[in-house]
This record gives sequence, structure tokens and C-alpha cells, in this order.
Amino acid sequence: MKQLISLKVNGTTHEVAVEPYWTLLNVIRDHLGLTGTKRGCDSGDCGACTVIMNGKPVNSCLVLAVDARDRDILTIEGLAQDGKLHPLQEAFIEKGGIQCGYCTPGMIMMAKALLDENPRPTEAQVRQAIAGNLCRCTGYVKIVEAILAASEAMTPAKP
Amino acid sequence: MAKYSVIGHRLPRIDAVQKATGKVTFGVDVRLPAMLYGKLLRSPYPHARIVHIETSRAAAIPGVKAVITGQDIPENRVGYAVKDEYCLARDEVRCIGDPVAAVAAEDEEAAERAVEAIEVDYEELPAIFDAEEAAKPGVPLVHPDLSSYTTTSLMGRRFSPQPGTNICNRQQRRLGDVERGFRESDLVFEDTFRTQMVHHGYIEPHAAMAFVDPSGQITVWCNTQRPYGIRDYLATALGVPMSRIRVIGTKVGAGFGGKISPRVEPGCVLLSQKTGRPVKMVMTREEELTATAGRVPSVVKVKTGVRLDGTIMARKVDILFDTGAYAEGLPPSNRAINDAAGPYKVAHLEINSTLVYTNKMRGTPFRGLGVPQAAWAVEVQTDIIAERLGMDPLDFRLKNAVDEGDPDSTGAPLHSVGVKDCLRQTAQAIGWGQPKSGPYRGRGIAALHKSPTSVLSASGAIVKLNEDGTLTVLTGASDIGQGSDTLLCMIAAEVLGVRLEDVSIVSADTEVTPFDHGTFSSRLTLYAGNAVRHAATDARQQVLRLAAELLEAPVEDLETRDRRVFVREQPQIGMPLADVVLASIASRGRPIMGQGSAHGPGTGLVEGAVPGWKYGAHAAQVEVDPDTGQVTVLKFVATHDYGQAINPTMAEGQIEGGVGMGVSCALSEEVLFDGGRVVNPTFMDYRILTSADMPPIESHIVEVPLPEGPFGAKGGGEPSVIAVAPAIANAIYDAIGVRIADLPITPEKILQALDKKRRHGPKIRG
Ligand code: FES
Ligand code: FES
Repeated sequence: MKQLISLKVNGTTHEVAVEPYWTLLNVIRDHLGLTGTKRGCDSGDCGACTVIMNGKPVNSCLVLAVDARDRDILTIEGLAQDGKLHPLQEAFIEKGGIQCGYCTPGMIMMAKALLDENPRPTEAQVRQAIAGNLCRCTGYVKIVEAILAASEAMTPAKP
Repeated sequence: MAKYSVIGHRLPRIDAVQKATGKVTFGVDVRLPAMLYGKLLRSPYPHARIVHIETSRAAAIPGVKAVITGQDIPENRVGYAVKDEYCLARDEVRCIGDPVAAVAAEDEEAAERAVEAIEVDYEELPAIFDAEEAAKPGVPLVHPDLSSYTTTSLMGRRFSPQPGTNICNRQQRRLGDVERGFRESDLVFEDTFRTQMVHHGYIEPHAAMAFVDPSGQITVWCNTQRPYGIRDYLATALGVPMSRIRVIGTKVGAGFGGKISPRVEPGCVLLSQKTGRPVKMVMTREEELTATAGRVPSVVKVKTGVRLDGTIMARKVDILFDTGAYAEGLPPSNRAINDAAGPYKVAHLEINSTLVYTNKMRGTPFRGLGVPQAAWAVEVQTDIIAERLGMDPLDFRLKNAVDEGDPDSTGAPLHSVGVKDCLRQTAQAIGWGQPKSGPYRGRGIAALHKSPTSVLSASGAIVKLNEDGTLTVLTGASDIGQGSDTLLCMIAAEVLGVRLEDVSIVSADTEVTPFDHGTFSSRLTLYAGNAVRHAATDARQQVLRLAAELLEAPVEDLETRDRRVFVREQPQIGMPLADVVLASIASRGRPIMGQGSAHGPGTGLVEGAVPGWKYGAHAAQVEVDPDTGQVTVLKFVATHDYGQAINPTMAEGQIEGGVGMGVSCALSEEVLFDGGRVVNPTFMDYRILTSADMPPIESHIVEVPLPEGPFGAKGGGEPSVIAVAPAIANAIYDAIGVRIADLPITPEKILQALDKKRRHGPKIRG
């Protein structure tokens, strides 16, 4: 039996009728048409579906849509503000942290959650934070560089 | 001043903003109004006869629009290299995962329920899983009809099956007199090595959408590496002319060889034909890991003869490749005979490559195309030999490594040879020869090469100039994440003297873009790159001829730069590129459009052989925990000869990504089979290394220009994976004195080897 829930995604509230077993990922991609969030495994093992829910990163393939009701959800589409890219997006572009780009939305959302909590992470902390996000193209080198560069740009080291 | 205004610059890739904002359309993102969802029913048996399929229960499920089986489709054999299968199995299944029926429904759940409701009667047949067994006489045959098989028109050139056996290809390469070489050697070494099946592990699964309109016109959107290959396959499968089929490549969430062959496209087309509605299929991760393909597993025997002074005299390499149920392993098995000897002067050489069928998930091209398998064996044995000779492994490699003018395995002279530079830079960066930084630590090095794809693979390109002096490139090549769209735009921009942002590109659309063989074997920079260079040069010539008239200056004196055409010695005499294009349209009625294709002199010795071998060297520093067997790579260095890096950031990205994949394949990944069944079909159990496990990777670029390449570039997405595993294995030996011969290098193998060493002293295979 479908039930009507309200989902707040990127600041916009949507009323959606969902089956109890639908995941947040299904609803975001197939019903709200926000296909920037990716599906790589549907089982919590790849991180491609990472979104931020009430400030915390989650694998949206593991969250039931009904459990996301009335939560504040941020997806990759909501990151740039007024046509201006987020510093993480800038850094991924500039440093070459994007190859095929399939892991990119999940990586960037995971990195945002990290920087929100820890604005000046060490390299080891960055590597630990994105350890649930698989990337097959980059060896993670330029992704880690990009996250550290964004952190530097957003929160310059105190002199 | 920099040599070039665009080439060699660290420019962001042209689709990076869209990718960073989630605004690109991958295969999984394609949607059409009124689309249906497709699903495949797959065989649960490794080898069986299909007695009967009952679809009525499935067809009656609400929302189900079509159920089809192998009996409903044209009886045309298809394949990637060898035509050895049907889109849907007809009478027989040859591995677990073979598609036997396809369903289209209004939603995914209905499609899944329908697939489960199809009843199939199978009669199990004897199956064979071990490649060495399968190569013997008198065993069950995977393909009894092998003698009637033919290759596809686009891919399978060298194909020599042995009917009545499971051997579907056997190739040999000889140079000199290998027996004499062994007789003249002081020492002869013989070792056997094995490589496992690994999966490409791209994060985007296979996805396709097909729509067949009422007139029969077929359009397919898919995340393929090879749109023209998909079109050829569909034309053969359906028996329709190519003019009725349009294949449009979407953005591809990486491929590495795994998205060369169709997996879901035929099912979508057949279901759309039946329903008249668009049909979309996306594979699950479990389907990816159980019913697609992986790197062709191998058993590699290497016999090498050397003189006591360290000269390699002769080498014989016998490789047995396990292609699984279908012969997609043909290109790797053919390529291995070019490359298996390694980047060394070997006067007397024999390479034998044998490809066998078994009843398992198939092997297919995988970054490196058969060369990593050979390099694993040859580069580990190289260290064994160096140790016996009392030589430093680096010195032994440098002594034997090829130089300018040495023959390749076909006997043709090599040019633009950067292997020694790569070895020296790599050695220096890893701290070769310096004291070890602790117990159980060691360093290892390995060299690599890869032969270029033959000229028998083609690329075409068109460059159109717009009325404002900007331009559009049309190419059949697909950008699968490696960044070919950006590289091709950079090449066109450099030739015409405009900026990268002045160039747009349309790629991988069979109805619009010129033919291209596809994205494999690191061929795009050289082939598609040259095609675009020639097309841009053709357009530039048209510009210069008209500008010469307008400026009243000789063509030879003109230059294009900064969006202008001008007289080289008097730059103030000139005009904007836009004005020339407009003049050509307005006063001559002739839009400016250049055409090009890849061409270059062949070496002439073997059909289609071309210059442009790629070189590199890899080195690892490791630490091994003797109690747990755990190997930690502390640092990895890779140096690659790109001829000219068109975009150094992207070239480094290819090195880092290949090394990362290589480390993961060396230490962690393996598709595990129980008989014909894959037993680790999730990313939880099929472990790709994460950012937390990945070592620091240092990339270096060497540039020995290739005159035939675009601006001297050789390209190379594959080489960075080739010698990672042997570099790590050699470092492990340096650290703890045991050699591992079978990939992957797991803690259990290390512990077993250490245990044997304690009991018997060091020896190959632990
Ligand atoms: S799709 Fe959610 S973790 Fe992979
Ligand atoms: S860029 Fe391709 S998976 Fe990360």
C-alpha cells in the first residue's frame, strides 16, 4: 500500500506516494528525477548513492523513503548555490578528481559531510572518510588532493 | 614560450562541470516516456540442454507486456570476436548466467516477478571448469560446433580453432631459433605462473534503452565503449541493415574493456520490437559479477636462457588462457604473442598462446589485453634470474632492455623507445639501492611495454568550423571516462589556433559521427587523435587558401593562432578566423569542414603492424607482517612514456588509476568460482581497495615523441596496470625472501610460503 509522504530535498518539499519498501535512492532518482545521485550496487557497498540527510552522510540505497520523511535531504544537485559551484566541486574539476564521474556525486557529498564536521582534515582523515566510496578510475589520488584543496580554500590555515 | 598553446597544458576536462554537478546522462539515467523495464532470466546451470520453457504464467502477471525466449528470435549466431552464441540461448546453455528469456513490464517489480515465474526444464550436461583439463582430448566439449564458427567482421582477424577440442584459438610467434638460443645459454630457467579472473569493477552497471519505431527503425542508447561494434552485433543478430540501427553512446561510468560487448542491448531491442514501446534494462551488481565477464585467467610457462654475463639469449612463453563459455578472450590471446617477451632484446623467441573454452563466466578484454598476464610471469622470473646471476634486478633489466632500432617480436625495428628512462626514473623515485627502512621491508621493480593496435583498426573524424570561428569535432570514439573528448578537442584547438573553450564535440553516435573501431587497447589518442588532427588540418588548409586570397599573401606564409589568421612575419596583417569562415560561406557558398582518418606507415612486417610501442616501469616499496601475511604497499612509483602528454593532469590520472587498479588486483581481487558458480557476487565479497587501503601513488611522465602520433603522443590508458603485480611480488621477495607465483597475493599464500621457506629454504611457489 502506497503512502503519501513529504520529502524535503534541496530545500524543496515534495509530496510523494511511496511503497513502504522503496528506498530513498529510488524515489530521488526515479520519482523526483534527480539522477545526479548514482546507484552502483544497491547494497551499501559502493557509496555512489551518498546524500546528506539532516547533516549526516547516508547511503540512500539503504534508507527507506518512509524513514526519510520530513528530513532535510541534500543531493549533488543542491550543492551549487545561485549558479556558483561549491568549493569542493571547483576543486574536483581543477585537480582532475573526476574521470568517468560516476563516483563523483557520492564522493563530493561524502567530502562535504566531512568538511562540515572537520573543516581541516588530515590526508589520513580524508582517506578514512571516503573509504566507503569506491572509485575505479583514479586510484583516489586526485580525489584526496581535491578534498584537501577545497578544505584549504574554504578554511585557510591560520597564519 | 611553451611549445604549444593548448597541447601539454593542464586544462580541466570539458565535461567536468556537468559531472561535478550531477548533470550528465549516463546509461542508467536515460528515460523515455512510456518506457518499460526489461529483465533477463539466466541459466542456473553451467551446461545444460533446454528441454522446454513455459512462459504463460509469467505473461499473465499484471503489468507484463512481453516474454520472449530464444525460439522467438532470428536464429543468427553472434559474438564480439567469434560468433559463438545467441542473444538468448536456443537449445543449450554453456555457463551459469547465460540469458534464456527476456521480459518487459510496466515496472521493475513486475518484471522481476515475471522472470521468477518462467519455468524452464533443463537437462544437465557434463561441464568442464579447469582450463588445463579442458585443453586435453576426450573431455566434455563446450562448443561441439566449433568447426562451423566464424569471426565477426570488425574484430576477429586471427582465429585458428581446433575443432573437436575446447581449443578455440592457437597462435604462435617465432623469432630467431629458440632451441639454438637455449643451447647457447649458460643457465636456463623454467617457471609457471597463474593469474586469476578479476572483474573490471566499473561502478556504473551496464544499461541500455531501446526503441523500435513502427517503421522498424531501431534506436539504442547505451553505455558502451564501442557503438559501431554494438551496431554490427545488432545488425547480425536481427538480420537488418545497418541503416535501420542507430546506436548512441551515453556517458560511460567507466569500462576498462568490460563495456566492449553488448550485454543488455539485444534484449532491449527484441522487447521493444515486440511491444512497440521503449525498453530499458540496467544490470544489478550481482548480474555484473556473475553474468558479464572478467579478465581472462591464465597459466603462463616461461623458459628463459641467459649467459653468465647477464645476456638474455632465448625465451619461450606458453600461455594458456581460459576464455570461459564464449571466445571474447580472442583479442587478448592474440595480443599476447606480440608482447609476452617483455621489453627486452631477445634474439631467439617463441611465444605460444592457447585459448580454451570452459563452462564458466567468460573472459574478455581488460585493461592491458593479455599483457598483464604475461608481464606477471616474465617480470617475476626476471628477478629470479637476476638473483641467480648475482646481478641487481635493475641492472639486469637495463642491460637487456630494448633500445632504439632493436627488433620487436615481429622483427620490425622499434622507435621512440623510452623504457630505460622509465626504469631509471622509477628506480630513483623509489629509493633503489638505498638501505632498507626497516625489517620486513623491501623494494621491487618491473618494466613493461605494450604494442600498438594494428592499422586494421580505423578512426574517422570531421571538424566543422562555425560562422564565429568556433568549431565542432565529430568522432565515433567514445569517452568512457578516460577523457578522449577533451583530448580530441585539445588537438583540434591546437591545429586551428583557437582555445579549448571554442571547441565542442559530438561523439559516439553511429548515425552522425564517422566510423571508429572503439575505445580499447589505448588506441584513441593515436587513432582518433590522428583522425581529428588530419580533419582539423584539412579545415585549416581550406581556411588558409581563402585567407591567402583575401590577405593577398602566400599560403605558406600564413599562421593560425589566437583565433586569427595572419602573416607569420607581419602579424598585424591578418583577420579573425570567423571572418574567413563567413567569407567562405557568404562569397564562395562553401562551409568549411575538414575530414580525416587515422593513417600512418605500417612497419610492413606483419599485416597492419604500426610503430608506437608504449613503455613504462613500476616500483613498489612494501612491508610484510610475517605473523599475519598482510602486505602493506608503503609507496608505489610508476613512470610512463607517453610520447607527449596531451594533458598532463589526465595522463597522471591514467597512471594513478591504473596503478590503483593494479594494486587492488594484485593483493585483493579475485572472482571466486565453485565449479561454474561465482561465489562472491557483491562488492562486499569482491573487494576493491578503498581510499584507506590504497598506497601513495607517485606518477612520472617520460616523453619520447612518436613522430607518427598527434603532436608526438602515443597515448596509453592500459600500461599503468601492467607491471604493478610483479613489482609488488618482487618487493615482497626483497622483504621476506618468498616468491608468490599465483595471483592474487593473499595473506594465506604469504604465510604458506613463509612456512615452506622455514622448512625447505626459499623456492619459487613458496
Ligand atoms: S548504491 Fe548505495 S552504496 Fe552502492
Ligand atoms: S571517476 Fe570513475 S569511478 Fe570514480
